[in-house]
Amino acid sequence: MEMDSLPNGTAASPGPTLGPAPTAAGPPPSSKLSHLANSLKLEHQFLRVPFEYYKKTIRANHRVVEKEISAVINGVSEAADKNDMSSDDAVNHLSSLVSRLQGLKRKLEEGSKTEHLQAQRCRARLDHLESADVESLSEWNNTRVNRILVDYMLRMSYYDTAVKLAESRNIQDLVDIDVFQEAKKVIEALQNKDVGPALAWCAENKSRLKKSKSKFEFQLRLQEFIELVRAENNFIAITYARKYLAPWGTTHMKELQRVFVTEFCKLYGMTLEPLLNIYLQAGLSALKTPYCYDDDCTKEDPLSQEGFRKLALPLPYSKQHHSKLVCYITKELMDTENPPQVLPNGYVYSSKALEEMARKNDGKITCPRTGFICNYTDLVKAYIS
Amino acid sequence: MELSTIKDAFERVVKKQKLCFSKSQDVIYQVGCEIEQTLTEILSAHDPTSPVDYRSVLADLKVKLNGIGSIPQLEGSHKELNVNLSKYTKLLERSLNSDISKAYRYVDFDHHIVTQMIANHFYREGSFNLGDGIIDEAGEPESTILKSQFMELHQIVEAMKVKNLEPALNWVSANRERLNQIGSNLEVKLHSLQFLEILQKGNLASALQYARTCLSPFASPPSPHKDEVVKLMGCLIYAGRLDSSPYSEITSPTHWEKSMEDLTRQFCSLLGQSYNSPLSMTMAAGFEGLPTLLKLANVMAARKQEWQAMKQLPVPVDLGKEFQFHSIFVCPVSRDQGSQENPPMLMPCLHVLCKQSILKLSKSSTRTFKCPYCPAEASVAQCRQLYF
Ligand SMILES: [Zn+2]
Repeated sequence: MEMDSLPNGTAASPGPTLGPAPTAAGPPPSSKLSHLANSLKLEHQFLRVPFEYYKKTIRANHRVVEKEISAVINGVSEAADKNDMSSDDAVNHLSSLVSRLQGLKRKLEEGSKTEHLQAQRCRARLDHLESADVESLSEWNNTRVNRILVDYMLRMSYYDTAVKLAESRNIQDLVDIDVFQEAKKVIEALQNKDVGPALAWCAENKSRLKKSKSKFEFQLRLQEFIELVRAENNFIAITYARKYLAPWGTTHMKELQRVFVTEFCKLYGMTLEPLLNIYLQAGLSALKTPYCYDDDCTKEDPLSQEGFRKLALPLPYSKQHHSKLVCYITKELMDTENPPQVLPNGYVYSSKALEEMARKNDGKITCPRTGFICNYTDLVKAYIS
Repeated sequence: MELSTIKDAFERVVKKQKLCFSKSQDVIYQVGCEIEQTLTEILSAHDPTSPVDYRSVLADLKVKLNGIGSIPQLEGSHKELNVNLSKYTKLLERSLNSDISKAYRYVDFDHHIVTQMIANHFYREGSFNLGDGIIDEAGEPESTILKSQFMELHQIVEAMKVKNLEPALNWVSANRERLNQIGSNLEVKLHSLQFLEILQKGNLASALQYARTCLSPFASPPSPHKDEVVKLMGCLIYAGRLDSSPYSEITSPTHWEKSMEDLTRQFCSLLGQSYNSPLSMTMAAGFEGLPTLLKLANVMAARKQEWQAMKQLPVPVDLGKEFQFHSIFVCPVSRDQGSQENPPMLMPCLHVLCKQSILKLSKSSTRTFKCPYCPAEASVAQCRQLYF
């Protein structure tokens, strides 16, 4: 299958290389570097969400300035067109416009501070991506797992634990807790059967929701209708609705929460599925072999655990083009440096393990799986390509 | 596309945003000035001898304000900013994978299992409040087994960090038999650390006493540790000044770290758990594997059903060797994966092929054949099955 020319499955563009360039002093293997570079390209959401948030603040601030300035200018025009203004009236009117401008000035400065903080957050994310390198990758990946766990918990509305995790790992700039505060209000209201904040959110994001042909507002209106029907008593015309629509109230409320999260994620450039599920699924598929489901599967394999096995069940097995042999004794990979050796009974172990066994037992080898005993000199190397 | 290009593009956005801000400030200032000027004019003219025509003053102000063109000014600078905002969004979409869920399969992904996984991940890390937090917020029934076990492990390790070995030694003696089965030497290692700790404090008599009761069982000939114990006894003459003795290496803090790691490893092993968090492990495999899966999903974009139904990935996902847990033999001739029905066979020349390839080469065992990798000849009878 020809697919190497494509950058991680995005539309074909001349292969961009993201990530640190190899350094002159002892560069790590290029395969590791390209793995890392490809892996960093998965972090679109990480850069996009704070930027969407920044953009949103900029737009809101701009709207305030435009609105207020127009109001002031209109205020002057109206006064100028009036016939019956006294000197005091004119003075009062102009003074009120001046203080309105002063208020706007303060608002603009506050808004600019928020914009600055959000720009800082966008920078912090770029810097964090830049800090990833092959040597300290496991530490970086730890942070990555924590970030993804926070994302998962925010989407599942486990806010308290999400905040605790972010604080205890000191990664507040790398997660989107404040973005989700906006979602939290809407979801909590929906849980309390109140569609008001959700409708307000729709109004706030009207143009973008319209662009993506969202049906969320319609669904909210429907729910509002259901709630009205449930509350009202004397309306015969809606008896039917009461009978057939009202029972859907609870179910539909839950559905609305789900729809809201979807719309919310779209708006901020997040994946619709939690990042955790996406990475878990990819990892499970890459790790899954028929041997994972054997009783003697090593405990180091995540797929030896019941929960991981269950999640992996509907996923495809991984595929190998070349043999990958793991020594039964040492669990180390057998390769040219540690080649496989064959006992007369056909069982294969790594040279390292067998040499060690021979050294400790005066040249005698005991097969750990069959109890077969032979001399170290009886072994032969196998050539496996 | 380098990260620095993205950074530069971002700084251009910030620059435009700042320009936009100062433009807004200017406009507010200009409008404010004009109004205040008019106001002063009206107020200073509070002189009964020369009444002011407010209407004409206000009309002047209206004209002046329209002359400033505030709204077009604001719109102009914002438009420029907007151009940069959408440029940056597009740059991100182009340089990174804008939708990593393209390789996701919409299968049942039980969130109860996921919650339990996360909770156990936190317990294993010793973050018990986080584990309890997610169990509580998700309304899951608590899985107390792993929690209490990891709590015990955590307490043992925390005590070791302040050089208190008592909980560790208690655990070791309670599990001596099972530890012996996995060939553990943790007990003698812990006793050595304790002995050296006493010795370093300069207390020769207690050190000797400790060695008699706890180390002597390991000093007699059948014990594989007798050399180590003898060496420890040699330390006795340097009580209180071990750091400057020929045995200084023995007091290195790395011995403590190593013992903590060994203990954790063996504790997890007796629990039937891995040393590394299975969640972190799977995620790490995902970080490495997802780019390949995305490429594959892209190639197969037109064949969605095939993608959802496939039983095995059509291409290998290369993972580091820390993710290799099983021996997988792939026949170099047929590219088939070894199995019970089609096992790997060793030829007399020591090359290995799968059984079916050998049967093909020998025309169903009817004749000798040449190895595809060397000039040697072989017959089926000479080949034998391998077990990895
Ligand atoms: Zn050969």
